[in-house]
Amino acid sequence: MDALQVKGLRKSYGKKEVLKGIDLCIRKGDIFALLGVNGAGKTTALECIEGLRKHDGGSIAINGTMGIQLQSASLPAHIKGMEAVRLFAKWNKVSADTSMLTALGVNDLASKQYQEMSTGQKRRLHLALALISDPDIVFLDEPTAGLDIEGRISLHAYIRTLKARGKTILLASHDMAEVENLCDNIAILKDGRIAFAGTVSELTRAVGKHYNICIKTSQGTENFEADNIGESLISILKNYQEKNMDIQDIQVNRGSLEQHFVKIARGA
Amino acid sequence: MDGFLYGAALQWKLDLRSRTMLITCYAVPLLFFAVMGGIFTSVMPESRETLIQSMSVFTVTMGALIGLPPSLAEIYKSDVKNAYQANGVPLSLGLFLTNISAFVHLLIMSFILCFIAPAAFDAEIPVHPGTYFVGLITLIVVSLGIASVIGLAVKDTANTSMFSILLFLPSTMLSGIMFPSDMLPKPFVMAGKLFPATWGYAFMTESNSAWHNLLPLLVIFIAAVLLCAVLLKKIATR
Repeated sequence: MDALQVKGLRKSYGKKEVLKGIDLCIRKGDIFALLGVNGAGKTTALECIEGLRKHDGGSIAINGTMGIQLQSASLPAHIKGMEAVRLFAKWNKVSADTSMLTALGVNDLASKQYQEMSTGQKRRLHLALALISDPDIVFLDEPTAGLDIEGRISLHAYIRTLKARGKTILLASHDMAEVENLCDNIAILKDGRIAFAGTVSELTRAVGKHYNICIKTSQGTENFEADNIGESLISILKNYQEKNMDIQDIQVNRGSLEQHFVKIARGA
Repeated sequence: MDGFLYGAALQWKLDLRSRTMLITCYAVPLLFFAVMGGIFTSVMPESRETLIQSMSVFTVTMGALIGLPPSLAEIYKSDVKNAYQANGVPLSLGLFLTNISAFVHLLIMSFILCFIAPAAFDAEIPVHPGTYFVGLITLIVVSLGIASVIGLAVKDTANTSMFSILLFLPSTMLSGIMFPSDMLPKPFVMAGKLFPATWGYAFMTESNSAWHNLLPLLVIFIAAVLLCAVLLKKIATR
């Protein structure tokens, strides 16, 4: 069952067409990442889907309630953590889930003013506010930007908990490790169009099996990149043999999602 | 309704935590009252008859024009509005809550002046307390309306202060609270009529024919409300 279906989404700012008809389909319970370089239109696409920005064309069908954590959101400087939670809970006519608040560490922010919170604490509070009405679909725009490693790990764990509870998550991120770890499906936006949509392994197949080869000899270390590992490795080793070079170590790594992403997003 | 009441109470608390509101609604008006009250009543003993009204006009003009716009700018000229929109809170809520809170703060401060002025400077209680309070409430509402336009229209907090002061100074200088407006040159008298402080002061001090001052205040208020509606719509449109 689809939680979200977007067809032919278009958006222009003046004469500049930012979204040139994008199609997305997100299954219920999936974690879906929207990727793209800066200016690709990720935030515009998300804000159009969330209903925060008017779109010029296309259709958006959302099957469920939404919770939104924006990339750029703030609260009044003097508001305390729990006051913000109560305000948004009362406005949405719900009572905040205490287990969610505990899991995100918002209880610790009960009497801390917003202006005194760290970036990570603010991020956690905004996530709690997005989840306050127990939404079916959660939008997360750069959820871990500015977080330390500990904050990142705990947030990833909580995102997995949300998935386990059947929530659908749409996230925009620059962190490829995060995407590789968390996401079932990804879409890469390039120049206002979807350049790729599928799973991480489908992306790997689409761009070719990209490998990094590192060879260490007594004269130093050399790095190679290859799509066809068999042919490439044999040819590199032959070359070393012909030059009578003493190979001390060989390392072969699969290309990272980052490299695949760059290949599609930048056409590298 | 529960959310609205909680929001109003919360905004009241936030304003108490904010130095700007405390300074503009309480500290500066009290200081002005202490200094100018003494000067007015010793230089012009007859000013005792209108001391409460003139100090109320100063308090309301200061608290509304200088105190409210920064609170609004904090919401509407920053990413706070994004948090409101993303979490299903109407954008107009911030405007209502800050106005309600500022209204209560200004009313409290005006009551404080009413109570201490007779004891401190032998000031006379307004002859028609009903007219005084209607005039006071109307002036607070209209001044907050103008302050809301500044808070919503100006692009950043630095400009907010500049525009607030540009309106505050002529409002107080030309309203008749510092010296009788009939002593001013005619162009200044005419200019003073553009500001609610002039009409509010006349409303509170005139005993029999005070109500004719209500019409210009109403016109200014309606213009401010319309402008606020347009500005809010502009802010909400992305």
